[in-house]
Amino acid sequence: MSNVLGSGLVEFESLVKDGAVELLNHIEVGDFSGAIKIIQELSEARHNSFYNEVGCLTRSLHDAIRDFQIDSMDLVVGEDGHDSATKITDASDRLNYVIETTSAAANKTMDMVDSSVPVASELQNQARELRKDWSRLIQRDLTPQEFRDLYKRIDVFLSYADESATTLHSNLNTILLEQGYQDLTGQVIARVNDLIRDVEDKLVHLVAVAGRVDSISGIKHQEKKSEHDDTRGHGPAINKQNNPEVLNSQDEVDDLLSSLGF
Amino acid sequence: MKILIVDDFSTMRRIIKNLLRDLGFTNTVEADDGTTALPILQGGTIDFLVTDWNMPGMTGIELLRAVRADEKLKSIPVLMVTAEAKRDQIIAAAQAGVNGYVVKPFTAVALKEKIEKIFERIDAAK
Repeated sequence: MSNVLGSGLVEFESLVKDGAVELLNHIEVGDFSGAIKIIQELSEARHNSFYNEVGCLTRSLHDAIRDFQIDSMDLVVGEDGHDSATKITDASDRLNYVIETTSAAANKTMDMVDSSVPVASELQNQARELRKDWSRLIQRDLTPQEFRDLYKRIDVFLSYADESATTLHSNLNTILLEQGYQDLTGQVIARVNDLIRDVEDKLVHLVAVAGRVDSISGIKHQEKKSEHDDTRGHGPAINKQNNPEVLNSQDEVDDLLSSLGF
Repeated sequence: MKILIVDDFSTMRRIIKNLLRDLGFTNTVEADDGTTALPILQGGTIDFLVTDWNMPGMTGIELLRAVRADEKLKSIPVLMVTAEAKRDQIIAAAQAGVNGYVVKPFTAVALKEKIEKIFERIDAAK
């Protein structure tokens, strides 16, 4: 597109160059009316060239704005016929789904851990108790009554161990299945990512065209520099390795703190 | 020993709560940001504060500053457990008087180490 926009200007430039040579020739031979005529021609060409350029720009700006509105914000008519949802609100719903799904998976996993820990502890306790008496048995240190008790307790323990193992097994399986959230949320995030990239492309195009309009019309905007406030936080750092301001590990944090006298 | 856990994500609060329980700290209360945490702290029963940084409403660093500025609360040990890892932020937290700083994702060992270190220092200062 820069070629289309630039061609008018390039043409105008070569016209000025040629005109200048011709102008000099006219002046050298003393033909001032001819020289004035060339100056007038150049002035007209300048007007026309700018006129064309502004026309082209207006059209591409208009196109860019239209593309942006239609392609990025167009109405997504869902199966239920709701056409109030744009792709952006759809993306926001999708991201909410990610938050909900990850939260549900984390809670389910922790539920399973919470219900497994006591089972494992109880198994451990019973095994330790039995082992004490078992070693007394090996040392032939048990009364016949104690032996009969141990006999029964071993039986109870074995069935408890079997039951516990089944519970633990099923809890572990639930935890494993719960990790499917990664797949689900990954797909959703990938889609939202596509949308963001799409919107960004359109925006870049729009900004580029708007920038050319500014350069021709001579409008200058005040640029505001916005610095993110540390107090509000930044969230987890992405691309830590490429950012010297971000520390990569707990060790680096500890080093920094100890350098501050901690 | 009563510990207040402040984080806007309930799962993170639950993780920290479970890890603390494993370390023997069973008495914990939760809040989801600085604004809800401050009244609990002002209730006067909290001995230790574990807080995230990035939260809606009042952030962790603001909570830390509020705690240090409050005559009754200023001696409460504060451990920051957060994904914020910018050099300037850690320096700001240190200047605000944080007692320990753990970056997420963290391990049970790291959390234990920092908490123990904080108590060691408090005991040494006594």
